[in-house]
Amino acid sequence: MTDYFDFIKSLMEGEKREEALKGLRVVEITHFIFGPNIGRVLAQYGAEVVKIETPGEGDRYRIAAIFGRFYKRANLLYAILNANKYIIAADARNEKARKIIFELIKKADVFVENLSAGLVDAMGIGYEAIRKVNPRIIYVSCSGYGQYGPLSRLPSFDVAAQGVAGVAMKTGWEDLDEFYKLPDYFGDYLPSMYAVFAVLSALYFRENTGKGQYIDISQCESLMRFMYDFTYFSLTGEEIGKTGNLDPASVPSGIFRTKDGKFVAISILTSSQFEALKSLIPQLENGNRFEKSRARDLNKIVAKWVEERNLEEILELAKKHRFPASPVLDDKEIAFDPWRWERGSILKVKDRLLGELPVPGPIIAMSATPGKIKWLGRPVGYHNRLILKKWLGLSDREIDELEKEGVIGYWDEMPGLAPPATWDAEKDEVFRGEKDEEG
Amino acid sequence: MKRDEILIRLFSEENKPSALENVKVVEIADENFAAAIAGSLLAEMGARVTRIEVGDEAMKISPYGVTINGVGIPYLVESRNKEIVKFNESVKDLIFSADIIIDGTMPGFLEELGIGYRNVSERNPAVIYVAISPFGHYTSKAKEFKNVPDSDLTAQAYNGYPTLIGNPYLTGEHSYPLRAGLWAAWIMAGVNAAVGALIALLERLKSGKGQFVDIATNDAIAVVTTFSAVMGFLFDKPRGRFGTIDYLLYPFGYHKAKDGYIALATPTDADFRALLKILKRWDLEPDWKYTLDRISDDLERIRILDEELNKTLQKFTVKELLKKASKLRKSKLPFLSRFLGRPVIVKINTLREVLQDEHWKIRKSFLRIKIDGKEVIIPNSPIKSSETPPKVSYPTYPRVPGSQERGATPGEG
Repeated sequence: MTDYFDFIKSLMEGEKREEALKGLRVVEITHFIFGPNIGRVLAQYGAEVVKIETPGEGDRYRIAAIFGRFYKRANLLYAILNANKYIIAADARNEKARKIIFELIKKADVFVENLSAGLVDAMGIGYEAIRKVNPRIIYVSCSGYGQYGPLSRLPSFDVAAQGVAGVAMKTGWEDLDEFYKLPDYFGDYLPSMYAVFAVLSALYFRENTGKGQYIDISQCESLMRFMYDFTYFSLTGEEIGKTGNLDPASVPSGIFRTKDGKFVAISILTSSQFEALKSLIPQLENGNRFEKSRARDLNKIVAKWVEERNLEEILELAKKHRFPASPVLDDKEIAFDPWRWERGSILKVKDRLLGELPVPGPIIAMSATPGKIKWLGRPVGYHNRLILKKWLGLSDREIDELEKEGVIGYWDEMPGLAPPATWDAEKDEVFRGEKDEEG
Repeated sequence: MKRDEILIRLFSEENKPSALENVKVVEIADENFAAAIAGSLLAEMGARVTRIEVGDEAMKISPYGVTINGVGIPYLVESRNKEIVKFNESVKDLIFSADIIIDGTMPGFLEELGIGYRNVSERNPAVIYVAISPFGHYTSKAKEFKNVPDSDLTAQAYNGYPTLIGNPYLTGEHSYPLRAGLWAAWIMAGVNAAVGALIALLERLKSGKGQFVDIATNDAIAVVTTFSAVMGFLFDKPRGRFGTIDYLLYPFGYHKAKDGYIALATPTDADFRALLKILKRWDLEPDWKYTLDRISDDLERIRILDEELNKTLQKFTVKELLKKASKLRKSKLPFLSRFLGRPVIVKINTLREVLQDEHWKIRKSFLRIKIDGKEVIIPNSPIKSSETPPKVSYPTYPRVPGSQERGATPGEG
């Protein structure tokens, strides 16, 4: 019989079926991360996603480039988050534009928005208005605190949500009067993945019943969902707060400095893992290892043991003795990690506008219907023509009119918004709406 | 009728079906909580989830060992709506007839028991098999490290998360990589796994076939958040600890006020100007006008602004800052407000403050259940959906295999 890992590998490399979400139409009016990441995931698995932006500046995330670094005038963070999407720009202050937006949502299976709570109603595209013309719609509103309740109108952002949800005080050193946010916009990415789950559940229900629905999901509640500290608080009356590198549910645990000046994370969860480590460090005595002061003592013993060993040696011992241990990677090590390249969680795309560059691969590895990164996020209004023709059947002349009237528009000449300087509009059939994107 | 009232009525939970009714899920795991989280999400949406215990460690894992009736907190929370049974020969039928299998054991372990994907898919080609492990169930590294068990902290480390957390200006042990204070990697992996299960389930409606879905906890955050890949391409160095500052926007973090802490964000230049107005620090404007002025990989440069802002913020109480920010929000010219700007300022809450907040009570964000007469607070599903509201209950909890049955009465939301 084939080795298990080779067998699974053969599945991952084996026969493929049609994309899982092919035929699913999604419209989004989204900005920054929470909203856009929902469309990103759906588009990775085959959905046709149309993103509506404001002419000129577009999604304000376009300008938020990492340390201000753009690439061929694009913000790669935006380009990745909005890969496989059709980007159009219509000015919602204009009545004709609102009509176009309305018609697009009418034709969609899923609509996603993360504007300020209630703004969609003012734009005439609230759930009630859309449901009347498209009862099958799955309508998703994303916000910091939810669509109703006294806090619903407060503005939110990842850090704000972490603060309001009580998450902020969990990360930091015990002996310092400061704490740190969960990095990389966890307060956006987590709720957005949860929202994708909600959308897929609603789609499954719709397949069985024909009924669409309204989904309200917030950053705060998504974070609070996994804060076991609330339950701990209700049982003990105490707030756990920040515990440095100790995971209080895993003892010993921490990030320790090795002899060769590197760092290793060790986290002991089960009795057998504890026994395995104890066979290497006999000073570790179990007792009640989870008890607060014991946990600290056990960690000190492990820290001392790690200090006398190189990282590689510890990782070898972890393999042999079966306890959780890992190196602590940084960005560069992740970007060039051979495992990630072999797995496909980082891969190279050849983008028509931006050329060849490495990007994160599909979020979920699937054997028969793998996700794809087909093209990267386009300039503001890039797919105006293509989508207005394809979805709404408008003619070139009608589209010319809309352009003249400022109903639809394109990018301002700013990094993050515009195409590469060498790009030639005349030669771009997709931009002119004569050809679809490939992939 | 007010918008809030309309929505509360729309989201009412009475007499509504669940989205995933009749979907049969088995979750096979011990201490891997990413698998338990994946199962929980499906269970919240009404799938019939049976958790099959392959060990007895999961229920002991709890912050500082705190348990209720011998059951740890994460286990209690993540056993929502689940049937829990011990692994034995009689549960094999359940496994072979499942729609979705969540495998949170070591790669290859279930195959050794004759219930791996190869075995199950042969008899049931429609099965969706979701594997959750540190390095996944394929690749050379997955094979090499197949015996190294999963944990949230090691997964955070391999995702590069702890190298980003902390104060960049500190030295000594405070410059070590620092863990995120909740199970960031396991949470993300669990949610990703539930998403993968449902993509496959929807596809199965068309093809009638199942497939293998693979989640690597060691990559669950990095593959979602996009930053490391971009850093690797654009820069020849990692970001480092930008915990108190940021690499996209500044300010975007936690700051100390006179009597407490605030979270502060100024997403646009207009928001930043509004902040300076509140703080009466116009002198900072010329040098730090644009987003691109305020972010830098040069820590010494950004420190100048950081220190000035911190110094000024500490002159105000949290209440004063909130009041000033909320005044800006009440501009009578909504179309102009975008150009006038409004910094996002909120108070950083303690758990007690969160639990007392009327907002979360109205939204039923927490459930209060009674176990042995003691009230226990459990976070609810974050999803509000109008036709198929998620449901969370612990009808006879905890029903620990092999122990006597204990009852829990669901309390008010």
